[in-house]
Amino acid sequence: MNIFECMRVAVRGLISNKMRTMLTMLGIIIGVAVTILVVAIGEGASARVQQTVADLGTNLLTIWNGPPSMHIAPAAALAASSGTSATSSNGVPVPPQAPNRLTLQQAEFIQQNFKQTVAAVSPIIRGNVQIRMGGTNATTNLQGVETTYPFVNNASVELGSFFTQSDVDGNAKVCVVGETVVNNMTGSPNTNVIGRSIYINKQEFKILGVLTPKGTGAWGQDQDDVILCPITTAMHRILHRNLTVDFMGVRCTSVKMMPLATQQIASYLRVEHHLQPPFPQNDDFEIHSATEILQRQQSITGTMTTLLSIVAVISLVVGGIGIMNIMLVSVTERTREIGIRKAIGATPRDILLQFLIESSTISLLGGIIGIALGVTGAVILAKLGGWNVIVDPSSVVAALVVSAGVGIFFGIYPASKAAGLHPIEALRFE
Amino acid sequence: MSDVDSKQVQPMLSLREIRKTYVMGDQVVNALDGVDIDIYPGEFVAIMGPSGSGKSTLMHIIGCLDAPTSGSYLLDGIEVAEMDDYELANVRNKKIGFVFQGFNLLARTSAQQNVELPLVYGRRKDRAERAIAALEKVGLGNRLDHKPNQLSGGQQQRVAIARALASDPLIILADEPTGNLASLQSEEIMQIFQELNDEGITIVMVTHEPDIGRHCKRTVTIKDGHLLRDELVENRVMAADLLVEMRQEHDLLHTA
Repeated sequence: MNIFECMRVAVRGLISNKMRTMLTMLGIIIGVAVTILVVAIGEGASARVQQTVADLGTNLLTIWNGPPSMHIAPAAALAASSGTSATSSNGVPVPPQAPNRLTLQQAEFIQQNFKQTVAAVSPIIRGNVQIRMGGTNATTNLQGVETTYPFVNNASVELGSFFTQSDVDGNAKVCVVGETVVNNMTGSPNTNVIGRSIYINKQEFKILGVLTPKGTGAWGQDQDDVILCPITTAMHRILHRNLTVDFMGVRCTSVKMMPLATQQIASYLRVEHHLQPPFPQNDDFEIHSATEILQRQQSITGTMTTLLSIVAVISLVVGGIGIMNIMLVSVTERTREIGIRKAIGATPRDILLQFLIESSTISLLGGIIGIALGVTGAVILAKLGGWNVIVDPSSVVAALVVSAGVGIFFGIYPASKAAGLHPIEALRFE
Repeated sequence: MSDVDSKQVQPMLSLREIRKTYVMGDQVVNALDGVDIDIYPGEFVAIMGPSGSGKSTLMHIIGCLDAPTSGSYLLDGIEVAEMDDYELANVRNKKIGFVFQGFNLLARTSAQQNVELPLVYGRRKDRAERAIAALEKVGLGNRLDHKPNQLSGGQQQRVAIARALASDPLIILADEPTGNLASLQSEEIMQIFQELNDEGITIVMVTHEPDIGRHCKRTVTIKDGHLLRDELVENRVMAADLLVEMRQEHDLLHTA
């Protein structure tokens, strides 16, 4: 009996047991769908981060306040790092001292003193603000920046102009808006808003320009839902913070200069912040490069992908065991049929092939349905959730091969059991 | 034995000192205890005997479904007692046609596909034509697409006979072929066998019914694993004649 003939028999057998076939396939369907979806999400996330880093340029450093643990739970982190519990003499916990903040003066100093390594510094202060234009209200992200911002952050103004040094020096109430803000305020991203007024926390600002759209960022945020204004204006008029900044971008003179720049800035900040060794454990700031962010994100994605792949593999194995179980039932149920086939001349190989093809057809069909579901899920995530997902054709091929393999592997035992049946005993089976 | 013996024809199958021993727990059962039989081309042999006599075991060995514990079995001049599973499957496929008591057709499979099955395993290209020809021979040329559950018992058995005929075997083996059928249908089946035998096809049949045995040309009686009698049938029953009588009775009953 040839392969084609076997397949016809197998498919006919499966069709006559639709419900059972579907339930058996379910394990494979879920396993394959999850794999396809996870790989698509992982690939999409990596691609987006790579794009972001490429947009920003690889010679960008960012300096942040404090290690991440201090952002989340400063008291616990400080207690852990000092090695003693922070309590007063009568046992009442004392709130720890706030870590040193980065300041405008430090940004100025870095810009002025490390000319060999640093091309420009862009200190940024940010906060959420209420905006109003005409009768429309919204909240958005306000960033107070220096005139170095477009250069350091690879940003540009599409319409109008950026504010000038004199605007910064004079705490001018001027701003540059992102495309999403324009859209939210006027109902269309193409409305000309240059020269119009916008109220930021009830203060009137004049719009000087509109930023070139950047799209979705590495972490899925909308990079165009932003208003930029002079850093001094943001500090003194809106956010009321005296001279401390949230982070700064540092554009180095070249990629080669980045380690030296990092070293120079770190030494300067340690002295400035009166820090004691050991370093970098006691640093109250962090310096990251864009590539470092990329690597970190990729390792997170990698870990997630590995974990979910393990889940998918387990699901495939469980699905395979389900197939084996059903095939064993099927062999027992069809013992008589096997006996008839053997009596009229089927060789053990013919019977083996028949059941192997049946089991691999189940898992292959399950794989195909799983791929369809996974791809559909990815498309839905992309359309409705705005996720960046990339369905890699090689993962589809791998899913097909693996699901066929699962069917063959878990079909071998039941099929060889069927092939090994003695014709007379099989014929006598009731 | 039979009239062909004198013409010095080689036997189609020749069993010598065939033994089959089953071990059941600590008991050893000799199902066959040294059986010698020769069957020549064109014969129509009934293997008779009470249940437990070993006739089914003999049938299985003749049909290459089972191997004897010892002894020699020449089928068409070839020793089959020591063949492996693949060679035996091939012999069953090419040289033997089986007809079973319980018909043993594949459910949910049309008559034609059932008849094609041995040809599929035999990798024959002309299987559709052969299957249709075989079904026409047993009078089911108009039932090609019927599934077994759409056919009467007698019709199912005729499909089974067509399946046995399809690959042009040396011999047709029938194991209680009328055991599940009413007397009229039994007679119809026996008529087909007699017609096939008249065309020169060798048939070996296992039965415990003496009436059925009398349709054959020769009866071999087995008891306790031994050959008890081997005789030619006198006053052979011709199914065609009997059928005429039976149908007349049947018509009388229904017209009365």
